[in-house]
Amino acid sequence: MKNKISSSVSRIDTPEKTGGKASYIADIKLEGMLHAKTLRSERARARIKAINCPNLPEGYFIIDRQDIPGKNSVKMLIDDQPFFADGIVNYIGEPILLAVGPEKETVNWIIENTEVEYEDILPIFSVDEAKDPAKPPIFQKNNIFAEYEIRKGNPEKAFEGSHRVFEKEYRTGYQEHIYLEPQGVIGTYDDGRVTVYGSMQCPYYVKTALIHGLGWNEDMIRVVQTTTGGAFGGKEDYPSIIAGHAVFAALKTNRPVRLVFDRAEDIQSTTKRHPSIIKIKTALDSKGTIIGMNVDITLDGGAYCGLSPVVLQRAMFVSTGAYNIPNVLVRGKVLATNNVPSGAFRGFGAPQAIFAIEMHLNSLAENLKMDPLDLKKKYLLKKGDPTVTGGKLREDVKMPRMISLLEDISGYRKKKASFHKKNARDLRGIGISLFLHGCAFTGSGERDKIKAKVKLRKEDDGKVSILVSNVDMGQGPQTTLRKIVSKILGIPFSQVLYDNPDTDRVPDSGPTVASRTVMIVGYLLSRAAEKLKTEGKTEVTEEYIQPPYIEWDQENFIGDAYPVYSWGANAVEVSIDPDTYEIKVESVWGVYDVGTPIDEQIVYGQIEGGISQGLGYATIEVMESREGGLMQRSMTDYIIASSVDFPGAEKRLIENYYDYGPFGAKCAGELPFVGVAPALAAAVQNAIGVPIEKLPVTPEYLLEAAEGGN
Amino acid sequence: MVDTFKPQSLQEAVDVLSDKGAILFAGGTDLMVQRRRRGGLIPDFDRPVILIGHLKELKEISNSTREIRIGSCCTYTALLSHKAVPEILKTCVSQIASPGIRNRGTIGGNICNASPAGDTLPVLYALDASVILARDNKERVLPIEKFIKGPGTTVLEADELLTRIIIPHSSFNKFFYKKVGTRAYNALSKISFTGLALKKLRAVEDVRIAFGAVSPTVVRSKDIEAQIRGKDIDAIQKMIPEILSHYSKLIDPISDQRSNRRYRKTVSLNLLNSFLKNYML
Repeated sequence: MKNKISSSVSRIDTPEKTGGKASYIADIKLEGMLHAKTLRSERARARIKAINCPNLPEGYFIIDRQDIPGKNSVKMLIDDQPFFADGIVNYIGEPILLAVGPEKETVNWIIENTEVEYEDILPIFSVDEAKDPAKPPIFQKNNIFAEYEIRKGNPEKAFEGSHRVFEKEYRTGYQEHIYLEPQGVIGTYDDGRVTVYGSMQCPYYVKTALIHGLGWNEDMIRVVQTTTGGAFGGKEDYPSIIAGHAVFAALKTNRPVRLVFDRAEDIQSTTKRHPSIIKIKTALDSKGTIIGMNVDITLDGGAYCGLSPVVLQRAMFVSTGAYNIPNVLVRGKVLATNNVPSGAFRGFGAPQAIFAIEMHLNSLAENLKMDPLDLKKKYLLKKGDPTVTGGKLREDVKMPRMISLLEDISGYRKKKASFHKKNARDLRGIGISLFLHGCAFTGSGERDKIKAKVKLRKEDDGKVSILVSNVDMGQGPQTTLRKIVSKILGIPFSQVLYDNPDTDRVPDSGPTVASRTVMIVGYLLSRAAEKLKTEGKTEVTEEYIQPPYIEWDQENFIGDAYPVYSWGANAVEVSIDPDTYEIKVESVWGVYDVGTPIDEQIVYGQIEGGISQGLGYATIEVMESREGGLMQRSMTDYIIASSVDFPGAEKRLIENYYDYGPFGAKCAGELPFVGVAPALAAAVQNAIGVPIEKLPVTPEYLLEAAEGGN
Repeated sequence: MVDTFKPQSLQEAVDVLSDKGAILFAGGTDLMVQRRRRGGLIPDFDRPVILIGHLKELKEISNSTREIRIGSCCTYTALLSHKAVPEILKTCVSQIASPGIRNRGTIGGNICNASPAGDTLPVLYALDASVILARDNKERVLPIEKFIKGPGTTVLEADELLTRIIIPHSSFNKFFYKKVGTRAYNALSKISFTGLALKKLRAVEDVRIAFGAVSPTVVRSKDIEAQIRGKDIDAIQKMIPEILSHYSKLIDPISDQRSNRRYRKTVSLNLLNSFLKNYML
């Protein structure tokens, strides 16, 4: 039975976005506004010996580290990244200074005529080089941003007693977000207060970074999100850096300052999905049963730490996928290199880990002469099972039903059998992936770190305002959060107001990340709405309370790594050109459990987008770093899918009510991305009969895999 | 700022050109990219610009019993809708860029840009196309392979303008055109292959083979084609290893941000092999 809230409504932001009326940061012009451009490092690793700027025309300024009133470090997990290079540059594209003034041409001239004298330092371009003691470390003594271990059962004993060990290594590459709207902010300074307007996911992250950078009281800082044209994680931490730049410039010039990137600058200097190397060893008994597993994850964090430790944690917490594997040892580390910093990107470490475990089990199944799906079904997690961190799965796992639906709609078994009889020029394949995604922040992070607060206020005209710091970056909360509130209050959708967050108006309901907005913030709003309705108040504030069942030890990573999981299963069918090794995706299917969908059409939109982005990650989105410089620096060379590259997906939702989500909703934003690449790779593996151990699966890689190294 | 001229006739365009040594601007789809500047600044044209994309004389397509003549400023879209344009050229043009770019980009621009990855070039080489170059009072005709010197360079003089492309009529009944791009649509070529043959009964009376994006300029060998021409299809099948090895010596690709040398070379030969084995039969 379909829940009534799931019935789709027209998205509230559609008319202004499709009609070209939405005002993005680049559309906003303030009186007396100056333009800014960033001078960036051309070296991967060097000491700055001198900076020679041309004589500045009147009204033009240089803003650099001297102009930072507070700390020259961007507040993140460990604050190692400066706003402006502090005597040393650690990656190509690192900001050194800004030129600011009224005319773009002149600002550009200043940047082009500023010379930096560098003295190179031995650079580190890969995670292997990061372990080389001959190279001076970038970060602390060993280049390790974070290193963790988790264990379940007794892995050593399992391996000692094993009949044989199956071992493989997997590699994944960069991915660039290519949000349609590049990064941009405007900083202003008025009456002793600064305001930042910008395209962002986390207004309060930006505010916190400014408190540190300015060394000011929080009352003197205001952050306003402007309509945001896509983010995908790329606007989680990065806007904090450029918000600092714009504000420091506004302070010095006493004028509003706009800093908007063009595409090339955005690609070159913003964060990317972490490249990974994942080794998996599986211990088997004499009957071929899995009795233990070792997973070893290495991520390239780039030049600065950023969010890397948390990305690594998520990769580790799903490293055994949707399966109950006994006796597991997971080791992970993120290393510093002189590459562009890696950061948040839809999936946040999970896509790399899920790719590795799925491909590993596919190859193991082939090795055991089983169908991969039959092997995977044997180990599927079910209610009551222990997770890899020793948490207990309390939810009903609907995977068996989802898998059988997927088999049905994709014709998996029949196709698998018929593709076996193919001839050498008819290369077709089908593959399946099973996956899960932990909803919201890790463990007790929502309680201990985020401490979300939401507010509902009855306005004089009877309308009700949603006051939260979460943003609509295209994923739909302008519509879904309104739906939740209006449904509970029993008022029309149009009577609920939800402006772009402004830290002067809204409490900190946490960042717009980790697929948490509907499940966590939406749930708080639903409780606030109930109170507003029953208690007759004009304003209700609701604070996060951790569901009582969660048990988590953040020191040792033991317990419930996430409050709950969303689940998914994908199938992909491909054909491969026997001459060119080009992959054509023939069909894609997906079955998902996201709890109750708050709006079916919006969830389907997330699924279609996630699949397209996932297939891009799996095939055509190639980004390589050569000596610290990115090879693909434009949209001509960094290829994302067009509408004709991939077919639309056939998708199904299986409802599964979650007690601590609004109307039973869980997380939906990242999940549809997570399982796509392994399903594609499995289909390719099925088509050409060669194990796929690397992403992206390019024709160049397939040629090498099929014809052997050279 | 630079001067921009919009002549009203071809003659006027030639006159201005001989005077100014200007940049010729037809559709602008390459120029605006090559000369763009970042951060919302206007493109960088360092010499006067002559707009020629609107000139009627350069947008005509005429067909005679011997040949088709295509004005250099015919857009890709115009080529696609003209019935005399050879099918293989249409197949190729239909895979260039996107509709918006095909509405502006011109065949003359594609030729003069002389990119190793220029998509019309291998097809024009295979069709024995020539180009007409006009300057004050004079015209010269050059086979396309003599016109293009190397990546981005041609023999066009500063006061010359490419006016027409001549494609002699020829008849083929076997076609194989394959563009290997970075995605299915609106993509630059990693490799392109053009294969044409005229087969009567068991004999191959004519054959043309050209490769794009795998060497500084298009790879076509009239010598190897001559060895194939006139042969029986069974004899050609036996010659395949030898033919592949001949072309292997001519194909000299680079590794870059879009593909690598090994892939470009192997796949070029795979496509040739496929043409000889599967498409010529």
